[in-house]
Amino acid sequence: MTTADPAPVRRKTLRKRLTDSRAVQLIILTIGVFILWGIISAVIERPDRYLPSPLTTLISSADLLEKGVLISFYSDTLTRLVIGSIVGLLMGIPFGLILGLNRTIADMFYPLMNFFQSVSGIAIFPIIVIWFGNSSTTVMIVILYTSFFPIAFNVLSGVRSVPMRYISAARTMGASRFQIIRDVLLPGAMPSVAIGSRLSIGFAWRAVIAGEMLAGQAGLGNMIFAGQELDNTAQIILGMALIGFTWILLDHFLLRPLESDTIERWGLVTR
Amino acid sequence: MTGEAKLIVQGLSHHYPDEYTGESVHALDNIDLKIYENEFVAIVGPSGCGKTTFLNIIAGLLPYREGRAMVDGVDIKGPGPDRGVVFQEHAILPWRTVSRNIGHGLELRRTPKAETQRRVQEYVDLVGLSGFEDRYPHELSGGMKQRVAVARTLCADPVIMLMDEPFAAVDAQTRITLQDELNRVVMATEKTILFITHSVEEAAFLGDRCIVFSRRPGRIKSEIKIDIPRAERQWKDMVNNSKFTDARDEILGLVRSEVTSNDDG
Repeated sequence: MTTADPAPVRRKTLRKRLTDSRAVQLIILTIGVFILWGIISAVIERPDRYLPSPLTTLISSADLLEKGVLISFYSDTLTRLVIGSIVGLLMGIPFGLILGLNRTIADMFYPLMNFFQSVSGIAIFPIIVIWFGNSSTTVMIVILYTSFFPIAFNVLSGVRSVPMRYISAARTMGASRFQIIRDVLLPGAMPSVAIGSRLSIGFAWRAVIAGEMLAGQAGLGNMIFAGQELDNTAQIILGMALIGFTWILLDHFLLRPLESDTIERWGLVTR
Repeated sequence: MTGEAKLIVQGLSHHYPDEYTGESVHALDNIDLKIYENEFVAIVGPSGCGKTTFLNIIAGLLPYREGRAMVDGVDIKGPGPDRGVVFQEHAILPWRTVSRNIGHGLELRRTPKAETQRRVQEYVDLVGLSGFEDRYPHELSGGMKQRVAVARTLCADPVIMLMDEPFAAVDAQTRITLQDELNRVVMATEKTILFITHSVEEAAFLGDRCIVFSRRPGRIKSEIKIDIPRAERQWKDMVNNSKFTDARDEILGLVRSEVTSNDDG
């Protein structure tokens, strides 16, 4: 009985050591990228046109910050992402759940879902523009549409993949259908919910940039696009960097903690 | 055996369509069985003899049409908390801690928190998991997981505990420990138990009565009483107990003749 005791303790310190070294790795990597970027920028001709140096990009961002556009673009984009993907998840999770629980409904809707899944967010863009014009609403609808399918499909398969013995065990303890959903199917589907959310938010993040470019809505996507027209390469790079950086923050402060508190804690996935 | 029959099975037969061919498979044939209060009945038989099918019917997980099965005089119509099941594979929930798994049955019945906590602690202690209350199943060994499963079933206080080869998936050394512990737990809780196993030794060691199933269609081939007080059933003593070794050898002979006749057919 005491044999299992020391193992988790040792694992914890090992994990801590791992994260510590990861932080170090990340810093080294970042510095490396900046140095490489600076060197390339220094050796090429017309760096302002092709690859402005890190410093030039920083000055350009200070300039945009001063004008107040950077913050307003950034918050516009983030607002669209948050609203679009949250509505997408809030629709996709229950929909996937209902389909996962009821085979008849699932069989009925599956072809339709499969059809629309293949029609990408960009492909529906023109018709949404016709319906809602070049507006922020259009961008958000595209985000919602894009984030809906990965989460719905993943929840559907997640519910179905819950081992039968867990359901049987709950039934033999007298669990009602609702109790089985709450205590067994929902937590059992969590690994898929996590994967689906990651995919959905990731797709939504791409869609928001593309959407802003196409619909000409103020935001990061538009900023990058405008950078090209204005011959302001620093602005393009700044926009790209912000996109990537935002995703890393989202991942680190939202998605990862969500996963480590649930599916990793339960031993359903190992990292 | 005196006292009240907790489980009564009369003329139970079962057919099911084969998954691939669709042909009707005759799994159980005319089973008659009574299990009395505080009795430990072990069913042993060759693999594919229908013993798990039988347990699933009693558990209410498998509907039946031919014959009757009753618990406390009430016909079995589906699963219910009066019959607790310990499954072969680990069926405790990975997202619940040890104590929340053990208290799950009470929680489902909306037992007051204080009462649940008290009972959970009682069964945690009984199966020797003190100090592991807040661990998740993946942090436990295979033997400890099955202890949780047994405690979870007992904590819900079923009329009869059904055990489907619960120790088949653990290593031999752990199995012996778990068998000894199960005896101690059964003595302490005075539970009525139906135990399915393919291990003759396990059946003879644990059962007050051993039922030997024939090969498919499963029917009761014979019944052996093993009159050894539970307090004396410990592996260190049992290996030298002639009542145990005689019973084991007799059951072994019966099971072996089934397996052999299976080969002939």
